[in-house]
Amino acid sequence: MGNGVWKDTWLITGRNIKTTLRNPFSVIPNLIISAFFLLVYEAGLSGIADLPTFNGANYLAFILPVSIVSAAIGGAGGAGQGIVKDIENGFFSRLLLTPASRLAIVLGPIIAGMLQLLVQTILIICVGFLLGLKVETGFLGILFVLLIAIGWGLAFAGYSAGVALRTKNAQASQSGTLIFFPLIFLSTTFVPYELLDAQWLKIAATINPTTYIFESMRSVLIDGWVFWEMMQGVIAIVVVCTITITFAAVSAKKAVSRG
Amino acid sequence: MNGKIEVEHLSKTFKKGDVRAVKDVSFQVEEGEFFAFLGPNGAGKSTTVQILTTLINATGGKALVAGHDVIKEPEEVRRYIGVALQETGVDPDLTGRELLELQASIFGFDKSGAKERAEQLLGIVQLTKDGNRRVGNYSGGMRRRLDLALTLVNEPKILFLDEPTTGLDPSNRMAIWKELRRLNEENGTTIFLTTQYLEEADSLAHRISIINAGEIVATGTPKELKAQIGNDLITMTFKSNEDLTRAEHKLVEKMGENEVIQQNGRLTVYVEDGAKQLLEVVRVLDEENIQVESVNLTSPTLDDIFLKITSEQKEEE
Repeated sequence: MGNGVWKDTWLITGRNIKTTLRNPFSVIPNLIISAFFLLVYEAGLSGIADLPTFNGANYLAFILPVSIVSAAIGGAGGAGQGIVKDIENGFFSRLLLTPASRLAIVLGPIIAGMLQLLVQTILIICVGFLLGLKVETGFLGILFVLLIAIGWGLAFAGYSAGVALRTKNAQASQSGTLIFFPLIFLSTTFVPYELLDAQWLKIAATINPTTYIFESMRSVLIDGWVFWEMMQGVIAIVVVCTITITFAAVSAKKAVSRG
Repeated sequence: MNGKIEVEHLSKTFKKGDVRAVKDVSFQVEEGEFFAFLGPNGAGKSTTVQILTTLINATGGKALVAGHDVIKEPEEVRRYIGVALQETGVDPDLTGRELLELQASIFGFDKSGAKERAEQLLGIVQLTKDGNRRVGNYSGGMRRRLDLALTLVNEPKILFLDEPTTGLDPSNRMAIWKELRRLNEENGTTIFLTTQYLEEADSLAHRISIINAGEIVATGTPKELKAQIGNDLITMTFKSNEDLTRAEHKLVEKMGENEVIQQNGRLTVYVEDGAKQLLEVVRVLDEENIQVESVNLTSPTLDDIFLKITSEQKEEE
């Protein structure tokens, strides 16, 4: 009797996907907001792309990463919400009482969150294409953008799962997503770094890992294959994932341990 | 692996507030036995269940469930037990059938095996025709029954049930009792049940431990427990509260403090030989000119035992 970690993870992830599909309204608002961002920023701000600093870049390609990242952070919050819901309705305990791998119990919702994010990002990119998006590096570039989006989503799924497991409280894990605002907006959100006006904002953008995510996505969308531009995003993801996944793992250990 | 529960000097102190929820509890449940933990809210019943089912660690003592140490070999223990906690553990977004299939798959059934097992269990708890409905639309009683079915997926050797009928209407309660009896009698499943309901323990269990404030205060068969407090009870009500107080005072003087209990305006006296001592009691009251409203001579129920033991404890504290 009993399965390995992978079979358990597969089973529990499958169940989380089912739950998400049956609650479309946990996904749709986030998706609409991200598409809305894309639409209004493009419509309202695309004129600034005529500035020389933009070097003739397409503003749509410039702003697309903002929409993708905001969807990623919002969507990743779903992993935490799912865990809190399970804790509240007792299903989490029911899983703990089975021989299922403890790792699988925590990984399931995180992986399901990732897949949800992947679908969201693809939809947003489709909206981008409908609005006339052109990608310098073509299909492979899109794959890179998806990879970065998933990586960044994983970082946030880890964070939201960690908060959920620690607080076991829906409100707390909801307010945990407040971190969304400084991360999205204290960055090179609307204009390139050179055009940021306030010194404090420049400092914030330099510290903010999201800046490197934006820049790496923009590099493949606008400039073509520039290795170091791409790597800064990858490095930011590795660093942040290391921190948040450790946080999730420690919180999970506490939640499933029997102290 | 066996169907026994062996508990020695088990203790649990919660760090938060330094609460000693379970204090040096020892007991043994034999294979195939139906055992009940009877006690009021906050007595330590749920904490004990959580320790024995590997959800939390004890802070002291030792427990073997199905022959495996709950602290050192939790994975082994989980294979052989079925657990229904006080709060049901069902996901409202899945259907009853899906939940049962998932549970079976986690316990290692293959796809068709899981389907078969789910179908079988839906039949057992009479949810076959609701199997494809989402659990969110189930009534409380249906959820309870599904929860019970989930605990049976792995054909557990030992079943833990933490207040399985609390909050249920009589017909759902009867359905659960019937199924528990069947599991115990036909399959030889060891059952550990906690309850606040004396009639539940009395009607289901072979043996009962009464737990209060984290300690086992009495253990025995329902019959033994009833005998332990004397053969008969004399229960009286009075015309006025003043009479009640005076009667209590006099009877305590005469029979001893532990033999007289006052609750809800009734006075109960525990006696060895009811027919003989009834006269004595009446004589005492008559001498004092106390106005009696009613007098009853009865055999004790578990309620009476429970009341007596817990009130003795209060006096000690």
